[in-house]
Amino acid sequence: MRIVIAGAGNVGTHLAKLLSGENQDITLIDESEEKLGRLESNFDLMTIQDSPVSLRGLKEAGTGDADLFVAVTPDESRNLIACQLAHYLGAKKTVARIDNYEYLLPKNKEFFKSAGVNSLIYPEMLAASEIVAGMKLSWIRQWWEFAGGALVMMGVKLRENAMILDKPLSLLGNELPYHIVAILREGITIIPSGNDTMQAGDLVYFMTMKKHIPHIRKIAGKQELPDVRDVIIMGGSRIAIRTAQLMPDYMNLKIIESNLDRCNRLTELVDDRVMIINGDGRDPSLLTSEGISHTEAFVALTDNSETNILACLAAKRFGVTKTIAEVENIDYINMAEKLDIGTVINKKKIAASHIYQMMLDADVTNVKCLTFANADVAEFNVKEGARITRNQVKDISLPRGVTIGGLIRDKEAVLVTGNTTIQPGDHVVVFCLEGMIKTIEKFFN
Amino acid sequence: MIHPRIIYRILGILLLIEAGILLACSLFPIFLGENDLFGFIMGALVTTASGLVFLLAGRKTGHKEFGMTRRDGYIVVASSWLLFSVFGSLPYLISGYITNFTDAYFETISGFTTTGATIIKDVEILPHGLLFWRSLTQWIGGLGIVFFTVVVLPVFGVGETQLFAAEAIGPRRGKLHPRIGISGRWILTVYLIISILCTVALKCCGMSMFDSVNHALCTAATGGFSTKNASIAYFNSRSIEYVITIFMFISGINYGLLFFVAFKGKVHKLLEDTEFKWYVLVILIFTAIVGISLFISTPYDAADSLRNALFHVTAIITTTGFTTTDYTLWPPFIWMIIGLCMYMGACAGSTSGGMKAIRLAILIKTMRNEFHRILHPNAVIPVRINGKVIPQSTRQSVLTFSIFFLALVFFGWFFYLAIGVDITDAYGTSLSCLSNIGLTIGDHGCNIPWDDMPTLGKWFSTFLMVIGRLEIFAVLLLLTPSFWKHR
Repeated sequence: MRIVIAGAGNVGTHLAKLLSGENQDITLIDESEEKLGRLESNFDLMTIQDSPVSLRGLKEAGTGDADLFVAVTPDESRNLIACQLAHYLGAKKTVARIDNYEYLLPKNKEFFKSAGVNSLIYPEMLAASEIVAGMKLSWIRQWWEFAGGALVMMGVKLRENAMILDKPLSLLGNELPYHIVAILREGITIIPSGNDTMQAGDLVYFMTMKKHIPHIRKIAGKQELPDVRDVIIMGGSRIAIRTAQLMPDYMNLKIIESNLDRCNRLTELVDDRVMIINGDGRDPSLLTSEGISHTEAFVALTDNSETNILACLAAKRFGVTKTIAEVENIDYINMAEKLDIGTVINKKKIAASHIYQMMLDADVTNVKCLTFANADVAEFNVKEGARITRNQVKDISLPRGVTIGGLIRDKEAVLVTGNTTIQPGDHVVVFCLEGMIKTIEKFFN
Repeated sequence: MIHPRIIYRILGILLLIEAGILLACSLFPIFLGENDLFGFIMGALVTTASGLVFLLAGRKTGHKEFGMTRRDGYIVVASSWLLFSVFGSLPYLISGYITNFTDAYFETISGFTTTGATIIKDVEILPHGLLFWRSLTQWIGGLGIVFFTVVVLPVFGVGETQLFAAEAIGPRRGKLHPRIGISGRWILTVYLIISILCTVALKCCGMSMFDSVNHALCTAATGGFSTKNASIAYFNSRSIEYVITIFMFISGINYGLLFFVAFKGKVHKLLEDTEFKWYVLVILIFTAIVGISLFISTPYDAADSLRNALFHVTAIITTTGFTTTDYTLWPPFIWMIIGLCMYMGACAGSTSGGMKAIRLAILIKTMRNEFHRILHPNAVIPVRINGKVIPQSTRQSVLTFSIFFLALVFFGWFFYLAIGVDITDAYGTSLSCLSNIGLTIGDHGCNIPWDDMPTLGKWFSTFLMVIGRLEIFAVLLLLTPSFWKHR
């Protein structure tokens, strides 16, 4: 597949590296020789040093026969123009990164399509909805819904009080209302088999149905955790604003921002439910006076990853149960996990995995790149005569590092065990180690 | 991080490929019944065994590779050139046509680096198989050993990018296709086409089939090994000289540009290329100077002067090193011009050696800018290549490269002097080896007097050849302590 990426910023480079590892034909355009220089000699991709909105540069990059054109420069209007030019030159599908909520409204979709922009992505918006989802179910680290919510997958950090520790999975019982698809232990992702056990400190990914969530809360020992009502956000970034707008009514939000001008601007952008506080979010006395001790969630969204991590650690010491940090430096993500920060938000990864999902050829409707586990989750519609339907799941030699979490059959969610036989027409949710999606696609087609 | 197992495994695979090529060469003695069969078969066996040892040392690298680092790439490239030459020398040694290891190793590395300096006094007594292997080393080395093998047999899956980057560094970037493997295959196609066309052209000019193939291989690689002692002069044919001149010239052009001309019909891309213009211009100017001085000072008529001048200037600038006559018998003024040509080399991304025309272009433009700067102290003066401003860092690395190149020529000069070589020969040999030409300027004629060279000098020459072929830094980098620290 031929993919042209305009803009070698954070999202662009991350995406390019991700895709070049998948043996796609990647061309990256950017004006800055500095940004491109190191990429070409280290990754299997081509770089063109030219403006992403120049026809000459786009032509040279082979936009004319590109299957996917992705514009991810920092400037949304350039992205839109680049997509229009690419469409004009003959790119089959175009994606632009934007910063404007209006553009995303469904009624505008047709307009953008007619203007040559097939998809829009808004990383801040995606990040904000992850934050809000994380706060709604605060005892859950990560949360995904599949097939319109019939199946859910959630990552839960197990503590000493969990009821399912130190028992081999095979002894937990047969007809369990959940399926454990992965265990993340000290930075290593384990796809568990019957002999593996769960230990305190593990981040365990459960696949289950919504009605069984209370049961999982019980066995994971999370019943006494309070629900989130009071939230403090440090840093009045764009993600903070989007979060404030998406937050349900029962939550109370305070945004702490150190820049007074920005504070004034924030008051114009959010409504009265949100209190804007001018000060340094790392200052313990300010946090105390703003009631950190009875706050359930602390979200650190400043531009500085280190500050965010430290502030979350400080908030943990005040007894905040749910901490969320924006960590833009990818190398810090594992470290942040070790430091026990509840949820880590990374715009690049969110945006890149969103685009990545767009380019998968098979009938995949939702691929999420899990920030913690080096893993992908994909959905497949099982085709007639696919290899996966020939036998029971345990007798099909799926590659290592792949597990089938659950499936939707006749609009009913079914959890998959070794004895399940998958039928054509099933909608299957698969969990696999990073970059293996291409390998497992052939089992379903 | 250095990953020894990955390195061992890649080297193992490379050696197996070399064993395969050696085995293919044994077809000549099988069909012609010559006495070098044993050399090839034994050589292939020893190489296979060594390759297997390397593979064994590099086994169990885990199912998920962490991938090659840049350091791994540099180590693989440098050591593959050395290893290939060690095992490539086996046929000469085992068949007994070269009796000591130093000479056999020298001959092989002179082949792989496309230098074309030969240690064999009488090549015409060599059997066909050995002659073909000799030419083939040049053809393989022309594009780069690692490049060639990786493109022909893409068996590694990982690390191609790092390997290519380590073997072909230079101021020119720009791929033909987003995937480096496919770019490589296109370039190899261009190379094949040049070689085949050259073979056909030489055959048409009356060369025997075997000689045509050998000379075509060595011309496309800008190597310069000949199957005849007298090089091209043996054939005494003007048409052959012109054919070889043309193909040397073509092989000195950037292969990426040749691809665009041959497969996409974009001739303007070639004609508008700054480096190509410089390359043509330099050849024309030097040919004119040499031609006129030949016409004035020798009994040649105008046509002969032009032909001789064009042939030798092209042979030297493309670092091929074929000869039709001993140019050291010409006036010393012409030696000077030839000496200058030796530094230059042809285009980056071709099979030639030397400093490369693009570096010369950047260097001269930078020098010109210095004068502008004196007159206009506040001016911001860019260096443009193909209409694009060259970043400061590239200019700096071009300057560094040039200084290193000069320093190495002088270092080599001193070294040869120290081991007792004549002053002009020492200079010519040093420059010739570093630029991968194979011809020299000196009192003993245009061929380097290898007989008088001490063993140490021969080893030093192989070192210079590899340094020059891998554009200095890739080899010298391995000699710096910091490369090996922080494992």
